[in-house]
Amino acid sequence: MPGLGRAALALALVLLVYAMVVGSYAAWKGRRRLLESAQSALIAAAAATAVAAAVLFLALAFTDFSLRYVWEQTSRDLPLIYRVSSLWGGQEGSLLLWMLVLTITAAAAIALNRKLVTNVLPWATPIFAGIAAFFAIVLVFVSTPFATQAIPPDGLGLNPSLQNVYMAAHPPLLYLGYVGLTVPFVFAMAALVSRHVDERWIVATRRWTLFAWTSLGFGILLGAKWAYEEVGWGGWYAWDPVENAALMPWLVATAFLHSVMIQEKKNMLRVWNVILISLTFSLALFGTFLTRSGVLNSIHSFAESSIGSWFLGAIAVVTIGSALLIISRLPELRARAKLESMLSREAAFLYNNLFLVALALTVLWGVVWPLVSEAVRGVAVTVGAPYYDFFAIVFGLPIVLLMGIAPLIAWRRSSWRSLRRQVVAPVGVAIVVGVLLALGGAASSVPALVGYTFSAFVLSAIILEFARGTRARHSKGGSWPGAFTGLVARNRRRYGGYVVHASIMLLLIGAAGVGAFSSSKLVQLSPGEAVAVKGYTLTFQGIEQGHTQNATEVRARFAVSRDGNEAGTISAGRNRYFAEDQTSNEIGLRTDWLRGEDLFVIADRFDPDGTVFVQVIVNPLVNLIWLAGIIFVLGSLITLWPDAREQRRIAERLEALAAFRGGTGPLVEGSVAPTTR
Amino acid sequence: MAERRLPVRLVIALSVAVVLAVFLLYTSFAGGATPSIRPSQLNDNIAQQVTLAGIVVGEVSGDSRAEGMHFFLKDFDGDTTVEVVYKGRVPDLFKVGRHVFLEGTMTGPGIVESDVVQGEFVGVEDSMVTKCPSKYAPVEDEAHPES
Repeated sequence: MPGLGRAALALALVLLVYAMVVGSYAAWKGRRRLLESAQSALIAAAAATAVAAAVLFLALAFTDFSLRYVWEQTSRDLPLIYRVSSLWGGQEGSLLLWMLVLTITAAAAIALNRKLVTNVLPWATPIFAGIAAFFAIVLVFVSTPFATQAIPPDGLGLNPSLQNVYMAAHPPLLYLGYVGLTVPFVFAMAALVSRHVDERWIVATRRWTLFAWTSLGFGILLGAKWAYEEVGWGGWYAWDPVENAALMPWLVATAFLHSVMIQEKKNMLRVWNVILISLTFSLALFGTFLTRSGVLNSIHSFAESSIGSWFLGAIAVVTIGSALLIISRLPELRARAKLESMLSREAAFLYNNLFLVALALTVLWGVVWPLVSEAVRGVAVTVGAPYYDFFAIVFGLPIVLLMGIAPLIAWRRSSWRSLRRQVVAPVGVAIVVGVLLALGGAASSVPALVGYTFSAFVLSAIILEFARGTRARHSKGGSWPGAFTGLVARNRRRYGGYVVHASIMLLLIGAAGVGAFSSSKLVQLSPGEAVAVKGYTLTFQGIEQGHTQNATEVRARFAVSRDGNEAGTISAGRNRYFAEDQTSNEIGLRTDWLRGEDLFVIADRFDPDGTVFVQVIVNPLVNLIWLAGIIFVLGSLITLWPDAREQRRIAERLEALAAFRGGTGPLVEGSVAPTTR
Repeated sequence: MAERRLPVRLVIALSVAVVLAVFLLYTSFAGGATPSIRPSQLNDNIAQQVTLAGIVVGEVSGDSRAEGMHFFLKDFDGDTTVEVVYKGRVPDLFKVGRHVFLEGTMTGPGIVESDVVQGEFVGVEDSMVTKCPSKYAPVEDEAHPES
């Protein structure tokens, strides 16, 4: 079996090199048949990679310890779900998953846009093949998942803190995100090489970008949920380099999603968009490099790695290559349309872009600062949470404000007077909410109060937009619910976008709640003793022991009462895992959905005399963060949902573009129906 | 057309200026960066708050919830060790042979004598983190003796 896996990978490498070399030649010379052959090779490479992945998958499911990878990642008594998720548990398996998702995505993106790729963007095929070939080379020559060994009695097992369903789902979602973002990157680069720098590459990849961005965002949030429940310090995001690794490409991709709308609608920001997508893809590679190479002193990654220099090389090639390509195509890229006013929707999108990119770059600076300082001064200086918090607030609050204002500003140019008329209601709501919260005691944290006031402004602006639109449709007849669903269905991108904005506001409210208003107490309790935190009283009832498939459990049980009323029991304790010879902290969690509040209990230490050290934390509003994740996906799905009308408009538009011969000319305003609004 | 060009460039130039200003503001007021060092570098950082990183070497004694837990930390790639006293939460993964970090201050002379830094490194309460609750890193031999 390992032989089959190795052979499949080697075959995939050969096919990818063929697709890259022959595809480049075909694209250069305009040989259609050869190009189709390269496309077929790419699709066949996806199939070969799937075979290799299936081999590893089966080996993990049947714990075949003759494979070193399986031995390193699993043990005999590890539950099946975690044996299977170990496919992306270790370095080699993760790289294989990257390559699998990449080749399948590339094959699908080419198959679904066959006409466009063959006629206009022939270079997409060799560029996809080149990126995939990089992973194939690393997997075949540097870091193979199919190394074999004499069969040992049992495997090393999986770190207990990673035996968690959120952690099983988090990495593949990040990979879907990283890999999905290669599609707009490759199409953009193909557009540059082919000198078809109009917005066709953007229109063709819009849904890929959105899908990748959604996966990445949701994956980050699942990682936060894992940290909250499993790492067990009561927090959910700690600005760890590995967390930042996924956040940076997400931030830049967010900027990209917004700025491509300006190009679609106004044919502006063409240079900026190709820069953004190159930066996004470089950061996605950098994210993989950070998590895999152990270059940084992070709690997640620390060992020296064989693939670090390979990834560094790939990042250099991508960054320098795309920069040179962009520079060489500057004359074609120069937009003919210009920004007409500093007070317009376009301008607002531009400001939002600048803040998002600034935030991403400051995070990047914080991540690489230990390396820079070690190189310069010999001592690694790490920046802590205060650094990131500061910039998240300084750059984040303007982004929040823009989320409320931008949808109210007209395209092209607006006037201060009309803006004033539009914002007066949301600003009124925000002031009322702010005053009420301040009177209610929220003034103890100024950043939280500001955050809440801003989100009240944005949320009321969004609700107002929905209300206005629904009323306008209703006035044309029909029922109110019909008018509402019709409104959303006819403008999926716009209203789906509003739903996503609303989810970000929920995230902000939840984050401010945990950050500013959580309370905690650490005590040593004997059986019968009680501790009170924020209206909750926990009485220590005693210690219970149990065991699972691969661990023994010890739990401290507490009777909970809230404001004097019985509220059940809660258990927290530790698990001892045999194969891994490790203990793991298992927190107790009681969620009050109505208040969005969590009671969070950590049994830190059990002493022989029957006492227990316990930390009790009450986290208000934290559940809004998880709710935000669900609404975020919902909003993205609305914008992604297939829309026959939109497809027709796009088809008409692409035809109109093709009629321009080469399509580099500007769109004539009004000649083509815009895809939004 | 020439004057129409201006806004975008102006906006970008202004925002670059704003970012730089914010950065300066931050570095002058907030600071907030701590050096991250190894036991052998403590000598140069006496009585200054640092993050100390090293490998736990035995033996571990004392109570982290009472007078303090005592153990030694060793350079990853050297033999210099220092005695550490620490109070507060001990991470799940803490044990001899593991790679840990903690914040704290070096007290005592800090001179290295026969590979031991003289004095005691006093950790900040609850500041200890172990490296790698991650399956991503290659297996460490001392953490996982061959079965």
